[in-house]
Amino acid sequence: MFIDFFYTLRKVGIPVTPTAFLRLHKALNMGLINSVDNFYTAARSILVKSERYFDLYDQVFAHRFQGVDLEEPDERELSEIARALLEEWLKDPQQLADLLGIDESELGKLSPDELIEYFLERLKEQTEAHHGGDKWIGTGGTSPVGHSGYHPGGMRVGGISRNKSAVKVAMDRRYRDYSQEAPLTQSQMGEALKRLRNMVPVGPKDRINIDKTIYQTVKNAGEIEIIFDQSLKDRLKVILAVDNGGWSMDPYVHVVQTLFNYARSQFKDLKNFYFHNTIYRYLWEDPRRHYKPYPVDELVRLDPETRFIIVGDASMAPYELMSEHGSIYFQERSEKPSLEQLHFIAETFPHAVWLNPVPPYEWNYTQTIGVIRKIFPMFELTLDGLEKAVAHLVRKN
Amino acid sequence: MNQENELRKFCGASQYVLDDELAEIVNISIALEMPLLLKGEPGTGKTMLAHAITEALNMRLILLNVKSSMKLIDALYQYDTLTRLNDSRFGDSTRDVSNIEEYIRMGKIGQSFVSDERVVLLIDEIDKADTDFQDDMLDILDQMQFDIIEIDKTITAKHRPIVVITSNAKKDLSDPFLGRCNFHHIAFPEPDMMKSIVRVHFPDIDKELLNSAVQAFYRLREIKEIEKKPATRELINWIRALRADPDFRVKDLIKGNIPYLGVLFKKSPDYSTAQKTVAHFKI
Repeated sequence: MFIDFFYTLRKVGIPVTPTAFLRLHKALNMGLINSVDNFYTAARSILVKSERYFDLYDQVFAHRFQGVDLEEPDERELSEIARALLEEWLKDPQQLADLLGIDESELGKLSPDELIEYFLERLKEQTEAHHGGDKWIGTGGTSPVGHSGYHPGGMRVGGISRNKSAVKVAMDRRYRDYSQEAPLTQSQMGEALKRLRNMVPVGPKDRINIDKTIYQTVKNAGEIEIIFDQSLKDRLKVILAVDNGGWSMDPYVHVVQTLFNYARSQFKDLKNFYFHNTIYRYLWEDPRRHYKPYPVDELVRLDPETRFIIVGDASMAPYELMSEHGSIYFQERSEKPSLEQLHFIAETFPHAVWLNPVPPYEWNYTQTIGVIRKIFPMFELTLDGLEKAVAHLVRKN
Repeated sequence: MNQENELRKFCGASQYVLDDELAEIVNISIALEMPLLLKGEPGTGKTMLAHAITEALNMRLILLNVKSSMKLIDALYQYDTLTRLNDSRFGDSTRDVSNIEEYIRMGKIGQSFVSDERVVLLIDEIDKADTDFQDDMLDILDQMQFDIIEIDKTITAKHRPIVVITSNAKKDLSDPFLGRCNFHHIAFPEPDMMKSIVRVHFPDIDKELLNSAVQAFYRLREIKEIEKKPATRELINWIRALRADPDFRVKDLIKGNIPYLGVLFKKSPDYSTAQKTVAHFKI
């Protein structure tokens, strides 16, 4: 019963589990569910475990039970994808033509505008004809996170992605299950990060040390002497700055999120900042990088003993890093090149590392990674890399 | 089916306005013997729901307030070493020093297990604790038993308590945890719903006051750049303040004169933003 419904939920990206599905059946067998309305509420509370997926659930439900079509990517998204395709085309016409199975010379005659038009047509055809087909652009995939949680219609190829083929990433995505392949799990990460903690006794002496109490009592020939200790608290300050913008970071979002979640539960004094690609005059305290700017200059006011952890792929166009007005955001014009800001941070916080989700063997292929590596010690965002990074961060000097 | 008849259905309480959807979810969770996880903005009545269930089903409520430093064992039982040490030294108590069991005290979860009647166990703000705590606790709630290591005894629940867990969504809960709960997100109530909520708390409230207060409240919630939006709790306290003030006239509210902003906005930047915005209301 409702097997299709269950699999549609899975397909659109809601993490539903068989156990939960069985439980739903148990509820059905107990006669608790008597109407479609009942079923809607019960199934949602049993199957869906986060309000992030409620909307998606509604869509699937409407689709299954009322025959409403699942939402397709709209025009704007398609044109974004088309634009990304154009980028690829300009880089390497042959490769893309092969991927799409079209004749390169034929397309070569078209102007960029016509090309976009052409891609757009192709995409529309694709999305109409192939749901979960095996062609090159998948619909119905979900981006696991991002600002708005998930993406109902399908995947998004946002903006420009350098040095990484958008088409390739789009293809990868469909076969990849981040939740299983992520190089780090939460508990592994916990083990690695735990060593970062700097436990010091603070506060009133309010904790009984039983061993010492017994020892002292015996020493006093049975006259009870109770020994109190201060409790241990973590006093380490950590700043975690995350590159959460751009398509190039998207494949690593899951790993970064795990790190993030863990750090949040682990460190009492944790500041989160966000940036896109690299750091200019401001870091952002809100993930949308819009409402709460934090001037980089202000960082001097923080404790220099703070551990500064930057997470990002460090992959961008060289001018974004080196030029005086390198930011890809028009409104974010800064006088100093980002490179200087990075130097400034590295000088302010001697304990700083850069964690890079890109595997190290690819580091040599991206110029900006090389430049940033000279400023910050860079480690791979895997268990191994994290351990090395932690070892670096706990060093006293 | 028999089982269902035995269960008293939960359908609201005197101090709690319940929507049908939530009532259904509560009843299903009770029937399936699953913990119910409630998420939602602070002040939308997550904790109140447990109180309401308690009242409606006429059961006792056991409240476990989760703290960040809490260890699971604290919620289960405590072994009072100090008293035992003291007794062994002075020997003037009625307790038998050689019997460790006399020095075991049940924690909140333990109490809900050994209780002679079925109780409601409210685990408040589970997200404060770390993930290990959450996972281990769910194991225990799943099995409905735990061991007391000191006396090598297994405590099994006499009656499966109705478990309600609340979370402020400060951080995401782990997957195994979520897998063992039913989930509901309490959305912020619509103005009409809000009015009936207010009416439950102030049955004799003047209609004009109710309408303009709720209207002003939703307008204040609209203000951008507010970090902590005022919620139901704040509204109710605010109306209480308005009613207590002999100088207050409902007309003031309509004119855009909003007193006691401090009741609604608890953070100082929020307060000043609200004050500035409210100044524009008066035109």
